[in-house]
Amino acid sequence: MTAPQTTTEKILSRAAGRLVSAGEIIEPTPDLVVVHDWYAATLASLLDKFGVDKVIAPEKVMFVTDHEPLAVTPEAAIRQKKVREYARKYGIGHFFDVGRGGHGHIFPVEMGLVRPGMYVAAYDTHVPNYGAIGALGVPFLTEIADVLAFGSVWLRVPQTVHVRLHGRLERWVTARDFAQKLIADLDPEVVDYTTVEFSGPGLATLPFDARFALCNTPLEIGAKSAIVVPDALTSEFLVSRGLSASDLPVSDPGAQFILEIEYDLGAIAPQIALPPRPDNVAPVMSASGMRVQHAFVGSCASGVMSDLRAVAVVLNGRRVHPDVRMFITPATHTILAEAAKEGLLQVFAEAGAVVTAPGCGPCAAGRIGPVAPGEVSINTGTRNDPGRLGPADAQIYLASAATVACAAVAGEIVDPREFMAGEAAA
Amino acid sequence: MDQLIFKGPCWVFGDNIGNDGDLMPLRFAIGRETRLEVLREYAMTGLDPELPKRIRPGDLVIGGRRFAQGNPHIQGLLGIRALGVGLLVESIQRGSLRNAVNAGVPILPFCRGVSSEATTGDVVEVDFCTGVFRNLSRGTERKYEPLPKQLLDVVRIGGWEANFRRRLAMVGN
Repeated sequence: MTAPQTTTEKILSRAAGRLVSAGEIIEPTPDLVVVHDWYAATLASLLDKFGVDKVIAPEKVMFVTDHEPLAVTPEAAIRQKKVREYARKYGIGHFFDVGRGGHGHIFPVEMGLVRPGMYVAAYDTHVPNYGAIGALGVPFLTEIADVLAFGSVWLRVPQTVHVRLHGRLERWVTARDFAQKLIADLDPEVVDYTTVEFSGPGLATLPFDARFALCNTPLEIGAKSAIVVPDALTSEFLVSRGLSASDLPVSDPGAQFILEIEYDLGAIAPQIALPPRPDNVAPVMSASGMRVQHAFVGSCASGVMSDLRAVAVVLNGRRVHPDVRMFITPATHTILAEAAKEGLLQVFAEAGAVVTAPGCGPCAAGRIGPVAPGEVSINTGTRNDPGRLGPADAQIYLASAATVACAAVAGEIVDPREFMAGEAAA
Repeated sequence: MDQLIFKGPCWVFGDNIGNDGDLMPLRFAIGRETRLEVLREYAMTGLDPELPKRIRPGDLVIGGRRFAQGNPHIQGLLGIRALGVGLLVESIQRGSLRNAVNAGVPILPFCRGVSSEATTGDVVEVDFCTGVFRNLSRGTERKYEPLPKQLLDVVRIGGWEANFRRRLAMVGN
């Protein structure tokens, strides 16, 4: 009889071709390897330096231009050209150039390229996003070169922190608020190098696309990955796309968790991450009245339909405050098209917000729509370290799409429950 | 199997030693500096500005919990490699274990309680292959979990780049 396994152990056992358990060092074979625009060209130069002229299983490799889809400097245009050339040279199986996919942490799930049980290795810290569909995304840095040249790189099998959700969020409170509260509550030393796994009946009360926000956040306090244990909603999503919903990886009864924690979603208030760290979290009301000049909704933690719909409810019939410029980045081209069909883009335009090209948006180091020195931004980006949106002395607050939209209209940070009192939620 | 034993005075530091600032000034991470001869002069100067002048190859650095925490820049661990010392820590942050191995630093990463097993200046002997730690000044011995063989091999060959070349020679890509 085999010992009960966590979702992570199951996925990595399959990828390693043998039963593995937490703590073991293994060399699993990824089902997909993802490299983003800013590193693809550097990686290719590195492979050139070592004389590597072909990559292992190029059909399982994805290059995606999402950090800077809209080149605004000559250097960026040259880098995009190099990525194109290398994708051709290596015969990369999944190349998503400018205008083709959008955010590489979102569209592969949308289109069924990333599926439950897959092990994905990527050069980007936010690849745990794929946990939304029940895949295990693991970030690597320079060693992604090993994966391309040799097919694998060593990995220590992470232990698991299990988070079980109950109840239902209050109106104007979102999964992002819960995720921020979670990383403020958890002890970074316990979470370090674990997979944070989500399950429980509360999941079914959230929009399916809110699972990206859940999986995006734990790595900010040191988690190795994050995953939503596939459930009935996962099956429904797969079946609706003509994909198989069998053999979904689920932790066995009796699987060993380093920590198990229960949350009542109904007890969560809107949260805000104060500068200068994503886990420096407090209730939104503690920052209310702070004037803002910059607002942004997008990034791999947000920018999905449930976020855009919430923003549209807030902006409908209102204007972005005269002191504020607001940027909205639909995560993917599919989401952009859907937002157009639903009339959301009209609402954004009439409110005075700017819609940018799908991808990372300003969150990718403020290459587009940055802040000026001394300004205050409220946004749905992943991090608020000094300099994340350009100048180091700007202050960055992180919150839900609804809270960001309310602040953009009010010109100052407000609790969305108070600002939208009397209005139906999205 | 080749031995990997260090014997010398130890240097004991506390918990939460950071990559940026404590182990290496941040500017070297921003500048992506990886030359060992450059980083050596600044290694651990956030903890003790004179350390690179006083520490000797073969000495042992003992760290507490969450060693090399913060942004997982590799420069701090490259600095430790440049000093030629061995490393024992109570725990190490995600990413920093990879960096230590990739920098070619002999390390015992899971030495719960080791901070109280020595004080700076004690002469210790550490076998990185077996995990045996001896405090020769106190006459005590402890056994910790060593790195698995495949990671020890990376350390022994000198870190990521040397290991990449070895893998390349094996598969002939």
